[in-house]
Amino acid sequence: MNATLAAILAILGLTLVKATPLIYAALGGVLSERSGVINIGLEGILIAGAFTSVAVSGATGSPILGALAGVVAGMLIAAILAFAATRLGVDQIVAGTGLNIAALAAAAFGLVLVYHQPGASHEVPALGNTGEQVLIVLAFVAAAALQFVLARTPWGLRVRACGEDPSAAESAGIDALRTRFWAVVIGGAIASLGGVFLSLAELDLYSDGMTAGRGFIALAAVIFGRWTPLGATGAALFFGFFAALQYSLQRAGVPSELMQALPYLAALVALAGFAGRVRAPASDGVPYIRP
Amino acid sequence: MSALLRSRAFRDVAVVIVVVFGVGSLAMLLAHVSPIDGFGALFDGAFGTRSELAETLVQTTSLLFPALGIALAFRAGLFNIGAEGQLILGGFAAGWLGAQFPLPGYLAIPMVLLAGALAGGVWGAIPGFLRARFHANEVIATLMLNVVAFLLATYLVNGPLQQGGAGASETATLPKAAQLPDLIADSRLTWAFVIALVLAFVLRWVLQRTVFGYELRAAGDAPEAAKRAGIDLARTAFVAMALSGAIAGLGGATIVSGVLHRFNTGLSPGYGFIAIAVALVGNLDPLWIVVAAFAFGVLQSGGVAMQAEAGVPRDVVSLVTGLVIIALAGRRVVSSLRST
Amino acid sequence: MQAVDGVDLELFPGEIHALVGENGAGKSTLAAIAYGAVVPDEGTVSADGVVGLVHQHFKLIERLRVWENVLLNREPRRGWTIDVAAARARVNALAATYGLAVDPDAVVETLPVGIKQRVELLRELDREPSVLLLDEPTAALAPSEIASFFTTITALAARGTAILVVTHKLAEVIAYSQRVTVMRAGRVVARHVTGETSADAIAREMVGGEVPALAARAATAPAPLLEVRGLSAQSATSALDDATFEVRAGEIVGIAGIEGNGQTALADALAGVVPFTGELRFDGEELRPTDSPAARLERGIRVIPQDRRHEALVLSWTVRDNVVLGRQRTLPRAAYGDAAREVIERFDVRPPDPNAIAGALSGGNQQKVVVGRTLAAHAKLVVAYQPTRGIDIGAAALVQSRLIEARNAGVGVLLISFELDEIFACADRVLVIANGKFAGAFERATIDRGRVGALMAGHA
Repeated sequence: MNATLAAILAILGLTLVKATPLIYAALGGVLSERSGVINIGLEGILIAGAFTSVAVSGATGSPILGALAGVVAGMLIAAILAFAATRLGVDQIVAGTGLNIAALAAAAFGLVLVYHQPGASHEVPALGNTGEQVLIVLAFVAAAALQFVLARTPWGLRVRACGEDPSAAESAGIDALRTRFWAVVIGGAIASLGGVFLSLAELDLYSDGMTAGRGFIALAAVIFGRWTPLGATGAALFFGFFAALQYSLQRAGVPSELMQALPYLAALVALAGFAGRVRAPASDGVPYIRP
Repeated sequence: MSALLRSRAFRDVAVVIVVVFGVGSLAMLLAHVSPIDGFGALFDGAFGTRSELAETLVQTTSLLFPALGIALAFRAGLFNIGAEGQLILGGFAAGWLGAQFPLPGYLAIPMVLLAGALAGGVWGAIPGFLRARFHANEVIATLMLNVVAFLLATYLVNGPLQQGGAGASETATLPKAAQLPDLIADSRLTWAFVIALVLAFVLRWVLQRTVFGYELRAAGDAPEAAKRAGIDLARTAFVAMALSGAIAGLGGATIVSGVLHRFNTGLSPGYGFIAIAVALVGNLDPLWIVVAAFAFGVLQSGGVAMQAEAGVPRDVVSLVTGLVIIALAGRRVVSSLRST
Repeated sequence: MQAVDGVDLELFPGEIHALVGENGAGKSTLAAIAYGAVVPDEGTVSADGVVGLVHQHFKLIERLRVWENVLLNREPRRGWTIDVAAARARVNALAATYGLAVDPDAVVETLPVGIKQRVELLRELDREPSVLLLDEPTAALAPSEIASFFTTITALAARGTAILVVTHKLAEVIAYSQRVTVMRAGRVVARHVTGETSADAIAREMVGGEVPALAARAATAPAPLLEVRGLSAQSATSALDDATFEVRAGEIVGIAGIEGNGQTALADALAGVVPFTGELRFDGEELRPTDSPAARLERGIRVIPQDRRHEALVLSWTVRDNVVLGRQRTLPRAAYGDAAREVIERFDVRPPDPNAIAGALSGGNQQKVVVGRTLAAHAKLVVAYQPTRGIDIGAAALVQSRLIEARNAGVGVLLISFELDEIFACADRVLVIANGKFAGAFERATIDRGRVGALMAGHA
């Protein structure tokens, strides 16, 4: 196999690895936004998933338990946002921002509590290469499954109805607030797997700031994917590709900061190009207050 | 009507107090510290002595600038989460230009501050432009730009615009003429505090008493009605974001000029994000924001002492700040969501 | 004042019962209570079977398909998925049973208003209601569609359904209902068997006296003001096509048409909110499609928008600050107070407090603020788009009178309204709009109601 082919395959492989956490986060974002709730707190959910899975894996010695705990943590964090957004009807973007700040701080606090040191945890039993591959494949399976659920199942139709017009949905007997709540929480469960992947599959520890804004790039992926699971996955692959390029270009002498900035710049450029031409679910981000 | 406002405000203040003391106490207990010891250390560290109070006011000032900027954007119906990046770049511009081009005193400080405001203004104008021209959501744009700002500043300060020698990650020390004079001797508190207070009064006056402020508030409170009343929404969004960034950048400049006397990439422990909480607690009113900034300044400076004296990790302060933001997210439902 | 106060109402199977009252009388609230959407503070609601409600502003999900809307939350299933074929079949069967043809796969937002109403009807009918409530069902229908609608309803009643029609259209009440209940200010003030009463009697009961008279029309010498040639424009889903007409100073031109036939595009193009093609001349000068709304205001063109809550007022602000809106650049700050007091006085805004919050005012008073500030701005051309929408008769009469007085004083008024009675009461000339095109012109003295109705429906 010649060197170029090997290099290309390496980049493709790296793309998959870089894209997988984005895919999970973006899928969580899609489900949430299709029901009408913008989840800015994806970053916080990734953090919760990443930290909790490491902490539990370290405490129990089982990375599987750790992963499950990470999912539960993500769901709990999402539930806070879901509650504030549905029952309290607050501004979803502001609440999501607060959630991110709180989650990052909670994880840092947790590091000191559990590991008696700031900055990073100890190394813990991880999911290893097999786990990494399983999670990568699972991401694509989840994307296909979510696409199917939204398009073809009764619950999916209800979710879509709540995202378009919760008042009309309620007049058909749907509990829009409860539907939105569960969409956000289940979305949180999916997104948290992205955090689990980062800490327990790609690595074997949690370090402060390891999520590095991926939750925000995932939001951009939701927009470019036109709020569909398959579309968001494609966008996540696109951004993952830019992240994968980072190392090769850095070796070629491009400044490291520019490389690190690439995914964010790509998101920014695409945002300018796409915005205004795609339509979000009609009630996306609009709190529904029962009259 | 004012009675109604006051009661809702009091209810919100009550919520904030419950969150701060309730969750704070819980966290302290988890860290095996009695809340009395923990909060005691915090408040003692915040204004136990004169110099500690001065330090609290330093934190207050550093929060006040970005909070005022964020509040201005909020009033225009926009969410500026990018204050952190605007603040960083404002600080960098101030630090680099101030060291690069020494000027006599009465010119140096204005130049340095102006540089910071301009840099922040440009960084705020980018998402403002994207919003005005492409209807791009300024939330995601400013989030992206925060990261890019930090990376850009890091690159410049270590690379092509290096002043401090390789690996220093900071600019050269500012000449004395470019350093803001102290307000309280032997402290880090400078006239920046006064500038911030004046700015708060000016902003309040602008919002309440000028046509510009009227139109900005209309754009934020009822964009469709504002449009039909002849208000240019795109231009308002652009100007509001640019101004918001300029104020945050000015804040970064005051940190560089007054506190650190140089720029380094660690100049902000997240002021741009904490300021979101400050703006909300202050109900987006510049004068109440001064009070809120003081409250959070207490938490910031007291938090250091709390960690040193009582062994409670400082992250508790950030945790509580985040929860306050969630608790007060109902204060303002931003109408910017009508962009993609 | 209660929205609904001590109301007793009984519906019998097989009857069409009309519930009438002016805007704000409590009819829609009562219907919502009967449906179960609103829980009354006191009293009981009982029904022998399912109650269905077709809303005045449809509760349809625009981006979903017809079958998805009709069967939402009751979809036929096959295992875990929706059985789409069965869903389509069920919709077709329903349509056939009730004679309401629809395409199950059509996306609702592409459908005309009359078909959308059918979809909403089918959705309720699928639940086999024993009671069907219809809230202002003919507001968006053409006169010919109204006849067909009532044919369907009468057939439904014949099958045993009890039907309640909430309406303010007395001609339809007389023509189609068996019994009528009249509400005023939240209470029931009269009950009749329809055959034993008249539209005039009902109208007097609705208002509680005589309908207030409008201001007198003075003789004016209309002068050229607005010339429109070949105007085409698009605003969201509203489309205007090749419109040519004139409005002169000192006259009221009424645009009669059913909602959804291009009126919004016309109003928005004149307001400068959307671009247009064609020629627009005002006061001798050309108006450009690239003009901003501010430019139109400067020339003296003011538009009273259709939706006062979202397009005209800042609900969280005071009345005073709302009065200033639209003149914030020309009115000196010191004059704000006087401007507010002037509007409050001339338009009898209640409560007469410049510091009252606009959102707390009733619909009628909110509208008075909007119309008042528009006329106080001394515009040369006033485009009044549904100026009396959803407000009580007293406020409506006052608004219409002020528009006539403005016309008397030389202002040009373009009155766009979905209420024919309003057009006929106020306009010097009547133009008809249908499907985005102008279809006919009438002078006040020679208006032919039947012809206008036919043109509105799109019949030549």
